[in-house]
Amino acid sequence: MTSTTTRKFHKDKGLVSRMYFTMFMLGFLYAMFAFFLMAAGMQLIFVGGIVGVMVIVQYYMSDRLILMSTGAKEVSPEEEPALYKMIKLLADRYEMPMPKVAIIDTSIPNAFATGRNPKNALVAVTTGIQRRLNERELQAVIGHELAHVANRDMRVLAIANFLVTLTSFLMTMLFWNMLFGGMGGRRGNNGGGLMVVYLVTIIVYFIGQLLVLALTRYREYGADHTGSEISGDPGGLADALEKISGTVNTIPDKDLRKLQTANAFLIIPAALKGEGSMNLFSTHPPLEERVKRLRELEQRMRYGLR
Amino acid sequence: MGLFSRNKTPKNDWAAMSTVVKVEEKLQALGEITPARRAGVIYRNDDENQFQNKIKIQLNNVLYDGPGATKTSFEITDDDRGMRWIILEDGNFNDLVSSVFTVGNAIGMNDGAGNLLAAVFELYFTGEVEDNTYRSGLRTYWIYRYDRKAFYPFVPTGDKEGERDRPTEARLGQDLRKHGLIIEKSLTEWMGLWGIPF
Repeated sequence: MTSTTTRKFHKDKGLVSRMYFTMFMLGFLYAMFAFFLMAAGMQLIFVGGIVGVMVIVQYYMSDRLILMSTGAKEVSPEEEPALYKMIKLLADRYEMPMPKVAIIDTSIPNAFATGRNPKNALVAVTTGIQRRLNERELQAVIGHELAHVANRDMRVLAIANFLVTLTSFLMTMLFWNMLFGGMGGRRGNNGGGLMVVYLVTIIVYFIGQLLVLALTRYREYGADHTGSEISGDPGGLADALEKISGTVNTIPDKDLRKLQTANAFLIIPAALKGEGSMNLFSTHPPLEERVKRLRELEQRMRYGLR
Repeated sequence: MGLFSRNKTPKNDWAAMSTVVKVEEKLQALGEITPARRAGVIYRNDDENQFQNKIKIQLNNVLYDGPGATKTSFEITDDDRGMRWIILEDGNFNDLVSSVFTVGNAIGMNDGAGNLLAAVFELYFTGEVEDNTYRSGLRTYWIYRYDRKAFYPFVPTGDKEGERDRPTEARLGQDLRKHGLIIEKSLTEWMGLWGIPF
């Protein structure tokens, strides 16, 4: 159902192609690695089986796991009528069944959605984010989270993560194997051969990790985009991101008069510092990029350009 | 507002500073804020400077002489951090802003551009704004930094350095930018001024 629903939305073509390219590269890497392991005589089915079970459990139980690990409490419509109303409105726009709603009692502003498909979705918000954001901003944030569900990002990431989980599992196994020479070494691999397998596993692990990170970023941009189309308010999300990102804490303690006194002894005046140095040392480039894209999308939507 | 308009950096102080007039007018019409009668220009005094060492006479000339003079009253005070303040008073916010500009401009035109620190406006919230983000009676300063050619809000919560209401400032900065005030983009440049003498 959702695959047809999402098709209605305008897609960022560059983003989609980059995403598919990353997924292709990941698949390619995965296949190469499997080939390599089999050539090296490892029992791939055994290793893959264990990791597969782990990933499947994680995938099917994600909502319960998250409830357990974050202390999120599922709430009823009577307990949170306003929140329910807001989520229902957005879910209707996605043509998605009403997800479960949970609250996490913490001052840290955050929100997330999980679930392998729209029928098993869960949306959780912290009390911190409820307090900090106004209605418009919260709606944009929840729109973004529901977009992850609509775009089936859990499934995509579960598949992508499989390789990384597999390699990290292998890395540990091989490490102990080399140390004590037991376990899977019964085929009589010599130490040098194992070393090569170990090194290749490490390399595959790091490349896989990078690809998963890239994929996560693309899905994040994708959810920003879909969510904005649904809420019709990219600016709301941009405001919310800026507000909860903690950039507020970069407002200095320093008195302006100190700057001027210091400047008297400096050759470069304050006016020449500025944006360039901010960008260079900025700690949140992805956030800035997201906000920038959202602001641009806001402009395009306002003027009906696609 | 062009289709692809960005927040352009204004070339001169008046282009940037004058945005405060429109924003104040808009927000006052909405019943949200009211300006205080006083504003200030803060600079590092230089006795070697011909203009600055006769500042009282000079300002009398620029504020009172000639057609269109705002005749805004002013006083001069030095703070305990070695800075000089020109405190201006005018019930007409338009005139107050032009006088602040005139004072800064006069100092700047007479070899004092490097000495100018900031212009400071004081505004109060009068109504309940949006979702009660700003309480009625909340006092805010809108600091204009000459070296950045941009404003930022300052909401001190005490006289000690560092005591300020950051979330309110960030929110107010966003709101004022939406209304058209030129706001300093880099939050790290939003330095406070504790113990404003007016």
